[in-house]
Formats: sequence, C-alpha cells, structure tokens
Amino acid sequence: MAVALRALLVDKRYGATLAVSGASLELEAAKIHAIVGENGAGKSTLSSIAAGLVAPDAGHVEVLGKRLSPHTARAAIARGVGMVEQHFRLIDALTVLDNAMLGTEPMRSLGRIDRKGARAKLAGVLEELRVKLDPDALVGTLGVGDRQHLEIARVLFRDARVILLDEPTAVLTPKDASALYATLRRLGDGGRAIAVVTHKIDEVLDHADVVTVMRRGRVVSTRPVDREQNRDAQRAALLHDAFHDADESSAATVRAPDDSEKVLLEIEELEAGAELRGVRLEVRSKEIVGIAGVEGNGQRELVDVLAGLRAATRGVVRAGAPIEVVHEDRHRRGLVLAATVADNAILGEYARYSRMVGLLDVRAMRAEATRRIDDGGVVPAEIDLPASALSGGNQQKLVVARALARGSASRILVLAQPTRGVDISAARQIHLHIVSAAQAGAAVLVLSADLDELRAICHRILVIARGHITSAARRDSDGRWDESSTNERLGAHMVAQAVGGEAS
Amino acid sequence: MSVLGSILSMTMLAQTARTAVPYVLASQGGVWSERAGVVNVALEGMMLAGGLASVAVAHEHGPVLGVLAALVVGAALGAIHAMVTELGRIDAIVSGIAINVVALGGTRVVLRALYQSSSNSPSIAGFGTHGDGMVARVVLDPIFGAAIVAVATTAIVLRASRFGLRVRACGEGPLAARAAGIAVVRTRTCAVAIGGALAALGGAALAYDQHQFQSGMSGGRGFIALAAVVLSGWRAGRAAALCVVFAALDALQVVLQGHARALQDMVQMLPFVAALVALAILSRTRGHAGGPPAGLGVR
Amino acid sequence: MSTRRAAMRLSLEADVWTIAASVAVAQIAFATLVWMYGESPRAMTALLLEGTWGSAYGVGQVLFKATPLLFTGLAVHVALRAGLFNVGAEGQLALSSLAVGVVGAWLPAGTPAMIALPLLVIVAALVGALWASPAAALRAVGAHEVISTILLNRVADALVGLLLGLGLSLKGGVRTPDVVQHARLSRLDRFVPALAGSAASTAVLVGIVVIAVTLWILPRSRMGREAELVAQNDEACAVERIPVKWRRAQALVLSGAIAGLASLGTVLGYKGYYEQGLGVGAGFTGLAVAILGRGRLLGIVFAAVLFGTLAQGGLAINAYVPAEAMEVIQGLVIVAVALGDAQVRTWLTDSLGAIVVRKTS
Repeated sequence: MAVALRALLVDKRYGATLAVSGASLELEAAKIHAIVGENGAGKSTLSSIAAGLVAPDAGHVEVLGKRLSPHTARAAIARGVGMVEQHFRLIDALTVLDNAMLGTEPMRSLGRIDRKGARAKLAGVLEELRVKLDPDALVGTLGVGDRQHLEIARVLFRDARVILLDEPTAVLTPKDASALYATLRRLGDGGRAIAVVTHKIDEVLDHADVVTVMRRGRVVSTRPVDREQNRDAQRAALLHDAFHDADESSAATVRAPDDSEKVLLEIEELEAGAELRGVRLEVRSKEIVGIAGVEGNGQRELVDVLAGLRAATRGVVRAGAPIEVVHEDRHRRGLVLAATVADNAILGEYARYSRMVGLLDVRAMRAEATRRIDDGGVVPAEIDLPASALSGGNQQKLVVARALARGSASRILVLAQPTRGVDISAARQIHLHIVSAAQAGAAVLVLSADLDELRAICHRILVIARGHITSAARRDSDGRWDESSTNERLGAHMVAQAVGGEAS
Repeated sequence: MSVLGSILSMTMLAQTARTAVPYVLASQGGVWSERAGVVNVALEGMMLAGGLASVAVAHEHGPVLGVLAALVVGAALGAIHAMVTELGRIDAIVSGIAINVVALGGTRVVLRALYQSSSNSPSIAGFGTHGDGMVARVVLDPIFGAAIVAVATTAIVLRASRFGLRVRACGEGPLAARAAGIAVVRTRTCAVAIGGALAALGGAALAYDQHQFQSGMSGGRGFIALAAVVLSGWRAGRAAALCVVFAALDALQVVLQGHARALQDMVQMLPFVAALVALAILSRTRGHAGGPPAGLGVR
Repeated sequence: MSTRRAAMRLSLEADVWTIAASVAVAQIAFATLVWMYGESPRAMTALLLEGTWGSAYGVGQVLFKATPLLFTGLAVHVALRAGLFNVGAEGQLALSSLAVGVVGAWLPAGTPAMIALPLLVIVAALVGALWASPAAALRAVGAHEVISTILLNRVADALVGLLLGLGLSLKGGVRTPDVVQHARLSRLDRFVPALAGSAASTAVLVGIVVIAVTLWILPRSRMGREAELVAQNDEACAVERIPVKWRRAQALVLSGAIAGLASLGTVLGYKGYYEQGLGVGAGFTGLAVAILGRGRLLGIVFAAVLFGTLAQGGLAINAYVPAEAMEVIQGLVIVAVALGDAQVRTWLTDSLGAIVVRKTS
C-alpha cells in the first residue's frame, strides 16, 4: 500500500515540556488511521506537525516520499495535506464560499477571483460529501455540524490527498459520528489517506483500519484493527498501551442521598435565548446531578441563567442557597491569566477585604489565596506566579478550588465541563473535590459531554437535547447504573426530539 | 453677505469639495489598514510626511514627481508601522502615536534643514488647474480625481480580488488565515503600506491646495478621518461620505471668514465636536455588521 | 527567598536595565541626528550636558521641564493600567491651566496660601477630570478613547481661545490676570539658592509625592486592582461581577484629574498666570514617560527627568541643531522602549518561573 505521508522521529518542545519525542507515523492511502491517547499524550501536536502547521524541533515529514520543506502550512497545503483542527479555523465574518477557497482561490485576470469557478468547485466538493451548504451564507450563522462540514469541504477544495482530523467527533452525537466516519471511509476509498486523532477507543475499534497509541509524547504502538477478532481483547490492549497504570473502575462508590435531604435547586419550565426551550429539574443537598449533552443544546444558556449573567425569558429558578458556577472556558471566563494566582484565587471578592478608605487587607487576601490553592492541590503552590505559568490541569484546579471555597457547606455548585482539556490525574482530583463538596452538603450540577465522567461521579444523569431534558438515568440501590443507560442509549437521547422532557 | 447666504453658496460647495480630498484619502488609508487588522492612529503623521515630501520634491521637480514622493514616503511609513506592530509586538496604538510624534518633529527638522524655516516651506504651484468657476477648478484637479478613484478602487479590490479577500481574512480571522497558508504579516504590511500611501497622498493634496507646506498643517484631519472610518463601520464608501460631511463643517471656517471672531472660534471646533457627537450616537446603535474587524489588533 | 521578594528583586533589575537601555537609545539617536547635521556628536553631547546638568541653573530648568511630565506621565500610566490610552492630557491640562489661572486671579487678594493652594489643586484636578469625562462616557458606549481624547484635545484648543476672547483674559491680551499673591508655588531657588533664575518650583516635589502616593494606593485599593484585572481579561471580570465599564470610566477620569494637576507647575509655579500655549507638549510626552516608566516611581521620575533633559538640552544646542530634533528622539525612544517592554515582561515571567522551579525541585 502506498505511504502517502510519513513523519520520522519527530520532536517538539514547548517551553520546558517535551510534547512529542521521537515519534514516527506512516499514513497509507485508502486507510483510516487513528491516533489515540489520553489528554496531553501528544496526539494533537503530532498531527499538527504532520499537517505542516507546526514545525518540529527534530525529525521531518515526507509527503509521497518527498520531504516537506519548508515546513509550513502553505507548503503542506500545496502538497495535498489538509487538516481539520479541533478548534475550527473559520472566519465568521466571511461567507462559506470565501472560507472554502481562502488560500487557494481560483483566479481570473487582473487579480480578480474567479467566483463562478469557485462556486462550481465548491458545489462539486459538497456533492462528494453529500452535504448542503449555502455558499453565500456567513459562517457566523452556521451551527457546529455545518461548520465541520465546511472545514472538511475546505480541505477537499484544496485537492487534499491526505486528510487529518483532530477530535472530529467531540462535538457530535454518536449517530452523527457514525455518519462522519462513513464519509471518511468514502473519501478514503477514493484513494486518500485519512488520519483521525481521538480519545474515543470504541470509535477506533468500529471504524479505523490502523491505530497508533501515544503516551506522554511517545508512540507506544501501531497495530492494525481487525474487526473479525475479539473486540474486548483489542480494547484491553489499546487501553493498556494508553494508560499503563490506568484503573478504569476507579469511580468512587457513590450512594444516592435519600429524600430527606432538602431540595436546594428547583428549575421549572426554564427558557432562555434561542437554545434553552423548557427545562425542569431539581437537585437535593448532597446530590450530584449530571447533565449530558452535546455542545449547543442549551447548556450555555442554562449555566448563564444560573450564574445570573442572563435573564430567563420564561420559567422559574428557585435556589435555596447561593449558586457558585465554574464556567466552561477557563481561559476566557475563569481566569485572568496575566494576573497572579493570588488575585485569581479570590477574583471578584475584593469587597470582603475592603477596609476603611477603600484600602484592601492584602495580608488576609494572600492568606486566603494560599489556603485555597493548598486545598485545591494546585501545583506549584506559589501565589505570586502569574496564572499563565500553571499547567491547564492546575489552572482548572484553581478555578474549581475557588468555586468550592465560596459560601457555606450547604450551597449549590454548577460546573460546566469541569475536566475539559485536563490530564487524568488532575481530573481525578477535581472529581474527588466535587464528591467531597457534595458529601458536605452541597447540591451539585455537572454539565459535561463526557459520559464516562458523569457515570463516575453522578447520582443521576439527565440528557439535554434541543433545549429540553430528553431522558434520565439513575443508579439502582447498589449504586450501579441501570442497563438502559449505556453510553449508546444516552447518546441516542442526545438527539431526541421529545418535547417537555421530564426529569426524574 | 449673511451667514446663511455664505453657507448656501457655490463657494461653499467648491470649498467643501476642495477640503474633502485630504479627508477622503486619509480615510481610505485608514480603511486599508484597519480592514487588514492593524489599528492605525498614525494617519495624521503620514499626512504630514506626505505633505512635506510632495512639496520638497515638487519644488524642484514638478507636481507629478511630488505626488510620487508622497506615495513612497507614505508607503514606507505604513510598512514600518505594520512591521513594528506585527514583528516587534508593540501595541499598534503606541506605534501609531510614535509615528505621529516623529513625523511632527521630523517634518520640522527637515523643513529647517531644507528651507531654514521650521514653520513654512516656499510656495509651489501644485497642479494649478484652470477653469471657469471655482467648482470646475476643484473637479479638474488631478488629486480630486485620484481621490474618487481611490474610493472606488478600495471598495472593489477589497471585495472582488484575491488580495482583497486575503486582506479581509487577515482582518477578520488572522489565526484562521495563517492556518490557510496566508502570510499574514506580509499581507498586512502591504495593506498598511497602501493605506499609508493614500494618507500621504491626502497630505500632498492639502499641501498643493495651500501651495506650501506648513508645520503641523494636517491639523487633526487624520484623526477625523479615522473617526469617519470607525463610524462608517469600516466601509470605504461610507467613510468617504462621512468625510465629506466633516469637510463641509471644516469648509465653514473659510466661508464664514468675514464674520465675528467668536463665531469663527466656535466653527473651528465644529468638525471635532461633530465627530464626537457622531461617536456618541453611532457607537450605541452598532449592529453586528457594523462592528470592527474581528481580528483588529490580533496578531 | 520568598517568591514575592524574588519578584520584587527581578522588577528592580528590570528597572535598571530599562533605564540603561533608554539612555543608550537616546544617546545613539542623538548622536546620529547630530552627525546628520554635520556637527560632532561628542561636542554636541558635551554642550547638551553642560546646558542641563552642568550648571545649577541648568538642573533647575531640567526639573522645571520635568515637572508637568511627572503628572502627565502618571496620568497616562493610570489609564494604561486599566487598558486605556489617555491621549487627551494636552486638552485636560490646557483647560485645567486656564481654570487655575482664572480662579487664582479671582480669589480675594489676601487669601492665605493654606486656603488658596488646596483650593486651586482641587480646581485643577476637577477640571481635568471633567474634560476626561466625555471620553469616559463614550468609551462606556463603545467608542475608543484614543479617538475621542484626541478630538477633545482639539476642541479644548479652540475652547481656550474662545473663552479667552470672550473676556477671561486681560484687556487686549492673551493671558489671564495674575493670580493672587499667596496662590503661587515658591520657586525652588528660594530654598536652594544655587538654582537661581530657574523656573523650577515646589511643584516638582508635589509631583513626586503624588506619584508615590498614587502608585502605593492603586494596588491596595479595590478600584485600582479591579481596573488592572479588567484590562487583562474583561470577560472573566464581568463573570465575577466586577463592574467593568465603571472601572474603566473611573480610571480615565482619575487620569484626567492627574493630568490637570500638571498645571500647577506652569501656572502657579512659573508664570503666575495662564496664557494660551502654556504647557503644550506635556500631554504627548506624558505617553513616552508612562511607557518608559513602566508604572514604577523610579521609572516615571527618571523618564520625566530624561525627557526634561532632552527638552532643555535642545535649547542649549539650538544654534547648531534645531530643537525639533529632540522631538524625533523622543518618538524613537518611545518605540525602542515599547519594543523592549514586551521582552522585559516575558523575561520577568520566565525568570520568576525558573526561580520557582528551582525552589520546588
């Protein structure tokens, strides 16, 4: 089989961290090649290097046997390598057509763009993808699914023969994910080499031909996927490679609180914005309720209403205690990266430390900040460092510690995507803190797209789709999840059209 | 002649047209730069530099070469501004202010060096158009025509050409543009250079119109032009239209010359007060389409 | 050593390096310009130093020229740390100077200094703050303050002329009447006879005190701390209920008030009245001082003195090299320092990080 792209002994260093070390990768034509590993394993970096977006510190990349030099995005695109990144590189203010052709615009005389030709080409590409998009629509108006289609269309517009995708199914329902893989298979059958970076091992076993496992920047193994063979055995092998010391079943035994606990949060028929169309739920003290859903189904609006940043257009929220919120985008909404850890640890609480004449009790502020980062397990425990100097996991721990430290033990906690982009050990610590807070009396609401996370710590899971709660799952008296709540089932509910779903 | 009579006259029309040319050119300069994503408060300095360059060259070599000199100087300043901002990572506002300061002092230095006066240059003829009536004289002036062409070209190029699309991409989504293989720094530098050249041409227009260069003669027009760009939602045509309005207010000063002194002082304030008022009103009612380029200030 | 002490020590190191670098850049720029005029850099430098630090009178003049820069530099810094560019110091100080001149002359003749001076300080600050308010309000509705403050400068310019013409000036003159006797700030040559003849006044001491107090209070006050956070990430601040727009407006108004104080040195300390054009240039130079000063007492004072030296030195060498050349040097120093500023900040963060890593390993 022809090797379309080869990365050879590639290194990449970011500051003090070695993101990728001595990694090699071979992508063959007509094959779907998966790259798996946990958060921080280096898969995104390696694929970015393969796509020419990032230049390696050592090693090189070959396309069709010829070295990629200069190692730039432009050169890679010219050689037929295209990448769909996890965070889409689309320009909202430009049209679909403009975005599709940006960088490879067909030309007429005098520097004018051949719009007619571009339209025709785009139409052809969309047809191959079996997707409908209005070429003159502004990208800012497109939803997540359409954006991804456009990203793939862009890659094809450039006549890519090698296509890499970074976590393409992170924002898709299980059904849409299958459809995507079907498309990728079709593209692959046309002779292209496809590479998918993902952490979803089941997808890999279902759809990929080859899988490379990475851990801590190194390639641990590369093996073919055989759909005839024992699935569990292959699964176990992959998990072993990816998580050497992982214990999957490390979820704490969580006992559901009984009905004698007070209901702290009650939401009825809540509507807000265009996305939240009527949600009803209640959370008791000491209870952890999870809301599972794909981005864009009303979670953002729900969190904003609970945080007091947005008014509901209908419905009622009854909160028996103050609400503390951990927002999902810690870099934009959670932290002031340029400020010190101390300032971040008590962000917005200066009123408490104001003494006479408006001066602040700096010593008390520092003491409290120190306490919070110690409790939260933030490392290094230096309050005078700028927050930008902390790793992603520690930044998230800081944000969580801050939310947990506020208010009394009996309060309402809302956490949105609490372990997104966080490495496994930090994620576990955060889960532990959440569970402890609940046991101390808090009513906790966790919104996440990660079903495994929710199964690990929640008492109940509600599924949100199209702005409604569409289904629920709960643990039985032994603390085990009932059989109807497999990830597939829950995932199916994430696209349910049910109106006025009930929370139970 | 009454005040009203002075205002509603051919003189006013002609004066407005004359006055509008530097404003309009500077505004197009602002459009090029800001649509590419580079904040440009240095239009004022570029006008000054262009004005002096054009006079210095026109004095010996005629008006056409003078214009050329202005274009070159403006482009150079624009390129420097873009590179210092993009590569040197200086805040574009700081760089812009620095250029203004250096241009103001620098033009005085050069003025002194060339003509032994730090305030005026000797007279030049400019393009000296002849024609019946004031309006004709303005309209037949080559730079007037150039201004109109500049507006049309800016709008068309940004919309229909590959370069224009790439400039807009750099302005609205520089990270995405880079990922698409576009050389953002290079594109921005080109765009800002074009903008600088246009602003400098505006300065030349001003100098030719007054038939000499005076220290600090741009008198705040560059900032008004920038305000026009912002207020018009960064659109070439609308910015130009707004500039005409401001130019009319500016023209009032000249037209009302025979009247009371106090009135003149108040009229002198008019363009600036008008710009402020417009900022107050229009900043509020800003919809999504009228906002700044999303990548303005983003590297 | 605690991280905090390490951070402070690193900041001091950065201060020294910035001072050294800016002097070097000014020196190089000066030498180049002088050489372009066909003069000897060495001779001109000697002449410049002689005219500034070479005599007591020169020192006095340097201090005099530096005085308004202390205020405008601080003013620009206060706005800058909130993420705002107050380019309107010119207009703020012009109107403030006019007000101080007018009120100072209008006071009853025998008003004691204890009443007159504090009153005039308040007037100066108030008028400066007032002239910054439109820009603050405009920023709150989304209009960038660079444009509005510059436009306000021009309006102030014309307004001053208008008001003087309308009767605030002496008959047939372009200046306000003299302020009352005790409303003056004493010249420094009263205490230091060596500085005889120079225009430096106690205003320079006032300036240093104002800087010290302001820089001390800002990071210890809720308003000041939140303003800085707002500049760094306004979205996160908004989420935490920090009043973003309000903090920005406060910073800009405070900046205007401080800029207004720059009138003390020129009107009360020097002329004893206000005339149009008094104090021009301090606003833009204030920007250079703020960037060079990096928000440190040492930095701002040094920067003010540096630019004061250049201004005074320009006069000393005016016969050979035009004074305007100094303005060019000023612009170049701005660029050089701004270029280095990003590096300095990265260096500070990295060094601190390295120290912490060493500590914990």
